[in-house]
Amino acid sequence: MTAWNIRPIASALWRNRTGALLVAFQIAIGLAVLVNAVYVVKQRVELIGRPTGMDTDNMIWVASAGFTKNFDYDSSWREDLATLRGMPGVKAASLMSNIPLSGGGSSNGFQNRPGENIPPKEIVQGNNYDVDEQAVEALGIKLIAGRSFQASEIQPPSETFELSSQAIVTEAFAKELFPKETNFVGKTFYGGLSKPIVIVGVIDHMLGAWVGWDKLDHVVLFPRLKNGPTAIYLVRTEPGRRDAVMRDIEAKLGDSNPGRLLRWVRPFDYFIDQSYLDDRNMAIFLVSVTTALLAITALGIFGLATFNVSTRIRQIGTRRAVGASRMDIVRHFLVENWMVTTAGVVAGCGAALGIGYWISVKYELPRLDLYYLVGGVLTIWLIGLAAALQPARRASAISPAVASRTV
Amino acid sequence: MFGYYLQLALRNLRRNPGLTALMIGAVALGIAVCVMTLTMYHAMSGNPIWWKNDVLYAVTMDFWDPQQPNDEKKPELPPTQLTYRDAMAVYRSDIPARKVIMHKAVGILSVDGQALKPERVTTRVTTKDFFQLFDVPMQYGGTWTDAADFGPEPVMVLSRKMNEKLFGGANSVGKRIRWNDNEFRIVGVRDNWLPLPAFYDVNNGSLEDPEDVYIPFGWNVALELQSAGNTNGWKPEDVKNYQDFLGSEMTWIQMWVELPDRAAHDKFKAFIDNYAMEQKKAGRYQRPLNNRLTKPDEWLKVNDVVSNDDRILVGLAFAFLAVCLLNTVGLLLAKFLNNAPLTGVRRALGASRRQVFMQHLVEVGVISTIGALLGLALGGLLLMGLRALYTFDVQDAGGTQALAHVDMTSVVTALSLAFFATIAAGLYPAWRIGRIPPATYLKAQ
Repeated sequence: MTAWNIRPIASALWRNRTGALLVAFQIAIGLAVLVNAVYVVKQRVELIGRPTGMDTDNMIWVASAGFTKNFDYDSSWREDLATLRGMPGVKAASLMSNIPLSGGGSSNGFQNRPGENIPPKEIVQGNNYDVDEQAVEALGIKLIAGRSFQASEIQPPSETFELSSQAIVTEAFAKELFPKETNFVGKTFYGGLSKPIVIVGVIDHMLGAWVGWDKLDHVVLFPRLKNGPTAIYLVRTEPGRRDAVMRDIEAKLGDSNPGRLLRWVRPFDYFIDQSYLDDRNMAIFLVSVTTALLAITALGIFGLATFNVSTRIRQIGTRRAVGASRMDIVRHFLVENWMVTTAGVVAGCGAALGIGYWISVKYELPRLDLYYLVGGVLTIWLIGLAAALQPARRASAISPAVASRTV
Repeated sequence: MFGYYLQLALRNLRRNPGLTALMIGAVALGIAVCVMTLTMYHAMSGNPIWWKNDVLYAVTMDFWDPQQPNDEKKPELPPTQLTYRDAMAVYRSDIPARKVIMHKAVGILSVDGQALKPERVTTRVTTKDFFQLFDVPMQYGGTWTDAADFGPEPVMVLSRKMNEKLFGGANSVGKRIRWNDNEFRIVGVRDNWLPLPAFYDVNNGSLEDPEDVYIPFGWNVALELQSAGNTNGWKPEDVKNYQDFLGSEMTWIQMWVELPDRAAHDKFKAFIDNYAMEQKKAGRYQRPLNNRLTKPDEWLKVNDVVSNDDRILVGLAFAFLAVCLLNTVGLLLAKFLNNAPLTGVRRALGASRRQVFMQHLVEVGVISTIGALLGLALGGLLLMGLRALYTFDVQDAGGTQALAHVDMTSVVTALSLAFFATIAAGLYPAWRIGRIPPATYLKAQ
């Protein structure tokens, strides 16, 4: 250890401690912010990037609102769907009650046996959609058991949130309802007023309406037409043809019926991006502010090292004159800087864990992983080293002659 | 003396421009981030109707599932909305000076004989007191009469924005317009109004624009309208038609009342409690009696209008400012100590410690002023960038308006905070340099 001269470096540092303490303090804050920013950003990125179960890249949503008194909803949607299905590049088109991942939708409590007094804990929440026979194809979801709906099974629109007697459900929802089963097709579950519903198909995965909901993958599809006078069409295109098909839809449906307003034609991304807007912005904000903060901290380290070099020019010259190598000088400043950084890191670890704990409680997230802390400490050490390197090398360039020159 | 110190300060700053730029940059950056975050936080957490905070109350009543509260995380709170039947029953009371029951809907506006395309508009279906109760400014005309509410009469108030779109901003009172193909007569135009956060209906985003169109409450029954906000229920019910829906346990109506004094508050509270007790006898309201009159500031708090994200951002902004200021202290210290020989000469020539301290403090003042001004400009730029992040669609550019006006309160707060913090940061280096015995540095020369 003596080769590293820890003790004289420390005592030199202690004699000029104010600047060092200030930098150590900055490093402590920097580490606490860095670790927690990475922790929060990672959660958000994972949230935004989780699989949806759908073919989101090739999906288009179209909304048409009938508003005149003599508007005929029934013939309008039939005509629109026929037009959409006949367009080149369209794989499937379907009438749906709501748009998944859009923040708007309907949910209900379901149970695995009839009866009015089921304990609340056994009620399983599901996000339900009214769909038609092309929905599975149009959503691009994968059936892992059972079958899709047939055209003859689709029921007329309901004004009163009525449930159907058949359903296609996600595996996650079925498992929650029937924890002990593995085969769910043909099983009966119950909605409000003990209305029986038979599972005809199971899909592996699909996300519902509200991105902040922990039951997001509990999706239930009912064979029913969406009620009027607003129709929402889902169109799935062949890969890569989405934008061209969107232009075609605007042109074909725009003026085809004066009794309605073609409200919009939008890619699925529009709704997904909007739902995750706050999460995305939070991530962008955290990353940019943390980067700026670390840059300023690095400048602080650089400033301190530069100052220390400039006030010790004669001492450095003297050391060089009595035999210290250039490497010794570089090492001196790097070790000195490392001590400052480490003091900051030690204080920062406590702050990082404290803030991490607070965030995990606030957001109900898993506790801050210690890997983040290790990564943060290594990063800060590297930044400290890089920031002090240039001043240390400048110090090593000081000529031994300086020692004799000015005395 | 001050003029001379200022001159010295400017000369000193010019001596090492790199260091000076670094200090000013650090101060400016810290302030910019603070201004930006505080503006955002202010827009989302302020009380947009603070002047009526003591007389306005949101009305909530707990008729929920006897087995579990509406929100497991806040079991003490009733649902945020009322059922249609309760809203109608409580609305009959004439204790409140003003009262409003309402919900949001969506409609299509069209004007006969105009070439403009029909327009989809957000609509508030409300009783007539809405405008006076929330102090909504009017550009033309006014609200409708009592009789129009449940008649309902085909009358409508337009937003200024929509009036400009449809009638070029002219006084359109008396003009005819079609809403979902029903003819309405315009009785008023609401002026620009942007309560932030949108407190009167917490179903929607807190940065959402107010509605474009207002129609009397009775139209929901007449046209069988459903809420464009949330409709929630707890009880399995056999709802076959709209009449069933109106009589059901579904919540979708928001209610606010204006109670001018304590006596009126107590009287109205007794009235709704009494109503709930009567309902208990009829088999409803099986939870413990829990009706609430909530003031706007409390309402924003219990409904989590300020999200955890915003709190983290404010914490981050202050951590950032702290680092910037610590940095400035360090740099100032280094800079002053660098010039210590000069100071030594000044002390030897007779400058007192006080004078040296004052001289350096002036230097700090110059740095913090330039930094604060630059920071404000930079903060404005950052806010514009932030607006770009939140602008989603040109048509739906709702909340972005909120961030468009940097409000003076947060600017003054951030600016004075930054200015005084920098001065405070400069105190120690200025004091320290004054303590230096002049002889040490004279010797070194």
